[in-house]
Amino acid sequence: MTFEKPTNSRDVIDSPEETSRLERTWHSPGGLLGWFTHVNQRMIGKRFIITAFCFFLLAGILGILIRLQLAGPEQKLLGPELYNQFFTMHGTVMMFFFAIPVMEGFAIYFVPLMVGSRDMAFPRLNAFGYYVYLIGGIVLFGSLLLSMAPNAGWFNYVPLSSKLYSPGYGVDVWTTMITFIEVSALTAAVELIVTTLRMRAPGMSLNRMPLFVWAALVMSFMIVFAMPAVIVSSTLLILDRLVDTQFFIVESGGEPLLWQHLFWYFGHPEVYIILVPALGMISTIIITFTRRPIYGYTALVLSVVAIGFVSFGLWVHHMFTTGLPQLGMSFFTAASVTIAIPSGVQIFCWIASLWGAKIRFATPMLWVLGFFAIFVIGGLTGVMVASIPFDTQVHDTFFLVAHFHYVLIGGAVFPLIGATYYWWPKITGRMMSEAAGKWSFWLAFIGFNVTFFPMHQLGLEGMPRRIYTYVEEMGWGDLNLLATIGSLVLATGFGITLINAVWSVFRGRRAEPNPWGAPTLEWAADSPPASYNFRHIPVVHSRWPLWDWDTDRERAVVTGLRNDRREVVLTSILDAKPVGVQVLPAPTIWPFVSAVAASMGFIGIIFHPIFFVIAFFLVAFTLVAWFWPRRPWRND
Amino acid sequence: MKVVQGIDVSDMTRFNPDQRAPLWWGILGLITIESAVVLTFCVSYMYLAAYAEAWPPSGESAPPMLWPSINLGLLMLSSLTMYLGGRAIKRGNQRGLAIGVTASVLLASAVLVLRSLELMAYEFSWKDHAYGSIVWTISGFHYVHVTSIVFGSAVVAILAWRGYFTQQRQIGVVVDTNYWYFVCFAWIPFYLLLYWGPRVYGQ
Ligand code: HEM
Ligand SMILES: [Cu+2]
Repeated sequence: MTFEKPTNSRDVIDSPEETSRLERTWHSPGGLLGWFTHVNQRMIGKRFIITAFCFFLLAGILGILIRLQLAGPEQKLLGPELYNQFFTMHGTVMMFFFAIPVMEGFAIYFVPLMVGSRDMAFPRLNAFGYYVYLIGGIVLFGSLLLSMAPNAGWFNYVPLSSKLYSPGYGVDVWTTMITFIEVSALTAAVELIVTTLRMRAPGMSLNRMPLFVWAALVMSFMIVFAMPAVIVSSTLLILDRLVDTQFFIVESGGEPLLWQHLFWYFGHPEVYIILVPALGMISTIIITFTRRPIYGYTALVLSVVAIGFVSFGLWVHHMFTTGLPQLGMSFFTAASVTIAIPSGVQIFCWIASLWGAKIRFATPMLWVLGFFAIFVIGGLTGVMVASIPFDTQVHDTFFLVAHFHYVLIGGAVFPLIGATYYWWPKITGRMMSEAAGKWSFWLAFIGFNVTFFPMHQLGLEGMPRRIYTYVEEMGWGDLNLLATIGSLVLATGFGITLINAVWSVFRGRRAEPNPWGAPTLEWAADSPPASYNFRHIPVVHSRWPLWDWDTDRERAVVTGLRNDRREVVLTSILDAKPVGVQVLPAPTIWPFVSAVAASMGFIGIIFHPIFFVIAFFLVAFTLVAWFWPRRPWRND
Repeated sequence: MKVVQGIDVSDMTRFNPDQRAPLWWGILGLITIESAVVLTFCVSYMYLAAYAEAWPPSGESAPPMLWPSINLGLLMLSSLTMYLGGRAIKRGNQRGLAIGVTASVLLASAVLVLRSLELMAYEFSWKDHAYGSIVWTISGFHYVHVTSIVFGSAVVAILAWRGYFTQQRQIGVVVDTNYWYFVCFAWIPFYLLLYWGPRVYGQ
């Protein structure tokens, strides 16, 4: 079977009854109870995105409070204990509960649409992952209200985080909720991998896959290989704290550095797990707003894959000051600088794509350009701190804080907001305001630099990170005040986007299916998409199917899927030939029940190990209910 | 623009071509993740051993070899019965499947009993030193997994006795078997580390 354009094909006749049948089959039940049964990928994706942005808002508020505390010398706003809790929560929530879930949320929402599928491979697992995430986040923030929040920093080094130096429940909450959230990240990753590899529209061979889908695929693989390390490390830590194992206790043969190795083996790729999907978003936006095929598709794909690989070999650069052998450290310096090569390939391909193009400077494009400026600075300081002598100087100073915010906010948040403006019409059916978008961008861009650029200087002047105050004589007051003012401007910038988003849901201009004139399949669905995503699964002949449709007279689709149950096409991995049809499960309450059972275990073990046993069997029983085949057994 | 028929899938199988159904890939994903966990545990063990003054710590002796070796044999045997059950259902033999899976469940249950006795006889606790901690943690990790395959496969066995699985409808058996293999074979690196490891590192 090939995917040449059909020659003697017959027209597809649509009857309205068929369409409403399809709608009945795929729609998500209404009502409060129904809400807990939804399994459609767009529902789950949307929930992930909204929940993640809520956590961004909350963690952002903590960031602002941190800045207010540091605005002048010897402030009394927070005090040491609260300050510790706040920066720990800020970092933890930003990294684990905002950045990764929001990227996964976008991937869950858009990958199936971009590959032309009606849903993902395991809809119920998808729902399970979301509830796990939601419960984990609520518990973590709840701990702040109960003043039991973790306070040993987002990388939670032992021995500071061991029972001796961190009594109380804070670190226990951290370890259990981190493990719990990893479960959610991992389910989504497996789901994305299988969906991408097996459920693409016929004809969408790997080399025709949209770049964002490639990026999501690489991100998912990275999650699969990185997260187990942090699961193990936090398991060891929680065992140390709960049942008195001795992994990190030096007196009984434990090794604190084991924690650092395991944590950073995960923690470094983590940064790239956040960055890689953002790279995909940037390519997507550039293609649409230059309205021509991207320069160097293959180079872009290969460099994203390379970034994924290399990022696993860099973790020791977070440990240069721990006294590891010199030779090993030099290796990691070299490896750290290597990552500049694939990153450079990305940048050059984008520049080549923008070169001479008629660029449309709509809001999404602005955020991408902002990314360029900020990310390049973050990359340069990255190369600086990869060198051991320099790192020894600035280690644990505000230079580092400046550096990683340039990378994280520039590399992830800016593209993400661009992508939000870009895809908002698809998700909601309404356009966001361009004028407000531009205000938001400029305020955020200026505010960002005013906040974080001075921190480089503060770091060079020796201001350590994670201190709740400083004395006047240090002379750090002015720059800190400037940074605090900047953070308020930055917050205003982000706030305008928030208002813009909420306002546009009710008042925004209605969006056509393809308002930007983009080439990828998600724009072939309605805005917002119907519950079955596509009335007909498209057949794809190039990387730019929608641009083809502008010129072709006919477009081929898949026929023969039943519409009285949830059927999707399975295709082969490399060239996406159809090989069969998969029947997907319908909405059910069981994923929610399972997630509740699992969370009982995770929350329970903070207080007593017995909850592990109880939850183990509870979850096992809910899983049986979830998978139990209902009669009549399917025979076709 | 006209919408025309490109590909007709009405006659394609709804039963997972060549058994590589999404669920098969999903379980492969789970196995990959858990293999990474297994590997991380092994690396942690070796890391602790490499930096320890004595391994096991002076005053402790390495655990006896006999029972874990028997367990290894039982687990391998249970993989074989699992495999035979799967072969049976491929030929449409429902009874063969039910017997195979049931035998595996019984064999793995025997492992659980033996392991419980063995763990109770350990001379050291996880609280004593890092060596004890890692030995107990790895043991516990594997114990929990054997428990979970016993539980999960018992459900598969019940369905098998009730005639749910057929030549076509057997993806449940396939993925359960794959996970079973994983749990059994994960015992090999653990066995080597926990029982041969001290004899090597101890020299
Ligand atoms: C909304 C604007 C933000 C502001 C004003 C802000 C502010 C800050 C400040 C002042 C610190 C240093 C605290 C200290 O060391 O004493 C910090 C730490 C940190 N921030 Fe942000 N931040 C923002 C956004 C983000 C984002 C988007 C991310 C990640 C995606 C992030 C990740 C982190 C991390 C990982 C730390 C380290 C926490 C620790 O030391 O344990 N921040 N932030
Ligand atoms: Cu790093």
